[in-house]
Amino acid sequence: MRQAAGPRPWTFYVFASFFALFVLFLYGPMTVIYILSFQGPTGGLTFPMTGFSFRWFHALVTAERVGDIGGSFQRSIVLAVIVAVLTVVLSVAAGLAFRRRFPGSGVVFYLAIASLIMPGLFVGLGIAVGFQLLGLDIDWYTSALGAQLTWTLPYGLLIMFAVLGRFNRAYEEAATDLGATPWERMREVVLPILLPGIIGVALFGFTLSYDEFPRTVLTVGTRNTLPLEIWAMTTNVTSPALFAVGTVTTIVSFIAIGAALISIAVIQRRRTRGSGNSV
Amino acid sequence: MKALPWLASWFQVAPVALLLMLFFGLPMLVVLAVSFFDYGQGRLYPTFILDNYFEIFASSVTVRLYLNSLKFALIVWAVTLLIGFNIAYFLVFHVRTLLWQIGLFLLCTVPFWTSNIIRMISWIPFLGRNGIFNQTFMGLGVVSQPMEFLLFSDFAVVVAYVHLFTLFMVVPIFNSMARIDRSLIEAAYDAGAGPWRIFTEIILPLSKTGIALGSIFVITLVMGDFFVVKVMSGGQSASVASALSTEISQIQYPPAAANAIILVAVVTLMVSGILRLVDLRKELTV
Amino acid sequence: MLSGSGNGEIRMVGVTKRFGDLAAVSDLSLTIPDKAYCCLLGPSGCGKTTILRMIAGHEEPTTGEIRIGGEPVVGLTPVQRGTAMMFQSYALFPHRSVLDNVAFSLKLRGASKADRHRQARELLAKVRMERFADRLPAQLSGGQQQRVALARALITNPRVLLLDEPLSALDEYLRLRMRGELRRVQKELGITFIHVTHTQLEAIAVADLVVVMAQGRIEQAASAREIFTTPRNAYVARFMGGQNVLSGTVESVADGQAIVVDEHGGSFSIAVNGEKPVQGSRLVGSIRRDRIAVSKAQGCAGASDKLNSLLGEVHAIEYQGSYVKVTIERPTGEGFVANVLDVDFFRDPLDIGDSVLARWSAHDVLTLEGAAYAGEASMDEAGGVLI
Repeated sequence: MRQAAGPRPWTFYVFASFFALFVLFLYGPMTVIYILSFQGPTGGLTFPMTGFSFRWFHALVTAERVGDIGGSFQRSIVLAVIVAVLTVVLSVAAGLAFRRRFPGSGVVFYLAIASLIMPGLFVGLGIAVGFQLLGLDIDWYTSALGAQLTWTLPYGLLIMFAVLGRFNRAYEEAATDLGATPWERMREVVLPILLPGIIGVALFGFTLSYDEFPRTVLTVGTRNTLPLEIWAMTTNVTSPALFAVGTVTTIVSFIAIGAALISIAVIQRRRTRGSGNSV
Repeated sequence: MKALPWLASWFQVAPVALLLMLFFGLPMLVVLAVSFFDYGQGRLYPTFILDNYFEIFASSVTVRLYLNSLKFALIVWAVTLLIGFNIAYFLVFHVRTLLWQIGLFLLCTVPFWTSNIIRMISWIPFLGRNGIFNQTFMGLGVVSQPMEFLLFSDFAVVVAYVHLFTLFMVVPIFNSMARIDRSLIEAAYDAGAGPWRIFTEIILPLSKTGIALGSIFVITLVMGDFFVVKVMSGGQSASVASALSTEISQIQYPPAAANAIILVAVVTLMVSGILRLVDLRKELTV
Repeated sequence: MLSGSGNGEIRMVGVTKRFGDLAAVSDLSLTIPDKAYCCLLGPSGCGKTTILRMIAGHEEPTTGEIRIGGEPVVGLTPVQRGTAMMFQSYALFPHRSVLDNVAFSLKLRGASKADRHRQARELLAKVRMERFADRLPAQLSGGQQQRVALARALITNPRVLLLDEPLSALDEYLRLRMRGELRRVQKELGITFIHVTHTQLEAIAVADLVVVMAQGRIEQAASAREIFTTPRNAYVARFMGGQNVLSGTVESVADGQAIVVDEHGGSFSIAVNGEKPVQGSRLVGSIRRDRIAVSKAQGCAGASDKLNSLLGEVHAIEYQGSYVKVTIERPTGEGFVANVLDVDFFRDPLDIGDSVLARWSAHDVLTLEGAAYAGEASMDEAGGVLI
């Protein structure tokens, strides 16, 4: 259990190999998909590769029997951005609220946890039936948006809890001492310091919405998001076009993740660059 | 306003509270209400009957479905716990620099942020009759015939679940372990405790919360899943949730709602059993 | 808005602060003169930080009045009061450079960039940190951060500067250096400083006015010299560490002196000018540790039969450089400490376990108020009683 520098115990190698296997387990299948999406024009859903081509990516764009990829992709992105923005604004506000004890804080907390744990299918069912009983149409930017928020807001809240827990309130007092109004305090001190956490919330909001399936499937109405199109493709499409979609959507995810992580890293490095000279 | 500082909190938390109530709280009440409705010919008749529940309890299919779901839940829980615990342990106690810790942690986490469905179907080329496993094993001469059980079977379902949900075990356990004060371990070592004692007396008890949280996540995810089990078992296996989704697609809302309520009740029971071990609010809040 | 040229006198009258059922400060009254360096001194939980924060405006008293420069300030923001605070953790904004940290309050008032940066640089030069203007706080050491925090507080031109344990985060060497700095800056600026600390020697080194506190009340507020040489009661005597507390019951009174016998059978005399304490009543006094002569004694420990002396066994010996701290054990267990000059000690060194006789002269014994232990001490505003 000693952490001091020195030769590593044999258990380290056991664990390390286990970890390596796990990473392989996680990334292996996805990598196969990426490779197979470049399947030759005559190839099938599995190996061997009959060639290397962009044919299946081409198929997505020309929408030959693969469904409404372009439209659903667009809707997914827009929805994800809306969800990300709303999640950030609402989670930050709610997180700040929880710094004090207020009547009803327990109710809101457990409501959020319950919303997190509840299988998406039921939430979707309730919203869909509810809308129907009220005579409203379900659509991707109304009922699906609300459904997705029940999934992202609890995550956002939990992240804010973690970030605010480490936040030193002396910064706020110092700001007050120097003459800041509550709004100036928020703008000049609290939010900038919390920025890495807020970026994390935005990342969760975006990716959770972009990939969301169970809540969305019942509440989206006639115009699908991308995960729903993919779901339909699993039953309809028997060509590597399915894999091509997988590759494209994963690239989008990676871009979002990369942007968030890089900006967080940049901010952190600027603020905690090594110690200066002595005295 | 000074007399009521928490009024400001109310304003700040109101949007979230409102949204959660509108899109989560109310819908759940709707589901509850609908479970008592009558239905027919694609229409709902708001009333109060217990027929939906009777039919569920009277059916032997229900028991089979629950047993199947519970079977999956248990197996997946055990496997993810084993894997997740070891991964977290490795990251916290064997990785030395913070940079590596964060890097490897991110490595495990990034797949979580990509599409579940894609990750699920990415197993098909692996496990199929002409898939990679079979081709490799046949090529190595280990088996002479393709192994059918790999895909469209319970095995495939479990593999997919483990692939998708292990992360939910890793993160809470990692969190709990990272919070363990290292000086506790050093003090035990000082007092003569061997690695095994340190593990059972210090690390395991202090990871309890993480294990509980991870278990709650994994169990509710498996019990509530309807698409992994459908696809990966090729329609052969069913879970409560997948039967539910079939009823929904057939617009049989009241029985689906009743099923949902019962499933929620069962899962809630399981979760509260786990919660007896840990005070969630204290662990998670500021 | 009130500027630093205003009067920095602070008056607190009948101030109480409750947190729920707990009273952190009870019915406290204190006057701090303008331009004074005042130290609030006491152990954790005595209320000193609460008072500081109430003067600053970060807490409001439950009851009572606070005036700065003659004007009531309860309900005003820190800036409106003309106060500025230096936080124990410095609380420098991690996302801003040193220069922007110092210029922060000017930015809030709408000063132009050129203007506020110029003023900030001037102030940084005063605390000798102008070289670090573009660094981030994380790149500075503790001592450097403290100077920046000082500059940031001073740029608002306060008439009172409040320092919350400013030196406790520094190592010993820096602490000694920085306290001289703080004193110098205060004299230069000519404003009131209120400095909270739990270190006795630090307080008497820097302060014009030392306020010794315990459990939400003031035990004594006086100059450093007064606090050390003539503590008002047993609590202050013990807390400051320069005295030994003697207590006992009165046996007889003659010639303005009361003969007091303590529970070990030893006796000491206390001046009682004009008063006539009843026989059997309790009196408390103290004798300075460096006014005691210690010599080896023959025979066993027991009560010394001479007045103003004590027989005992050496319990501990601590070398402190210019003097040696000798702790003599009394039968009741409370140690009796003599600070012996090093030349005197090493002429005939003592060992642990040696029997010794400690003697002091009657006119060095101070009268202390009230009973032997804090909590029983009476509370009024009069200063210590002098011999």
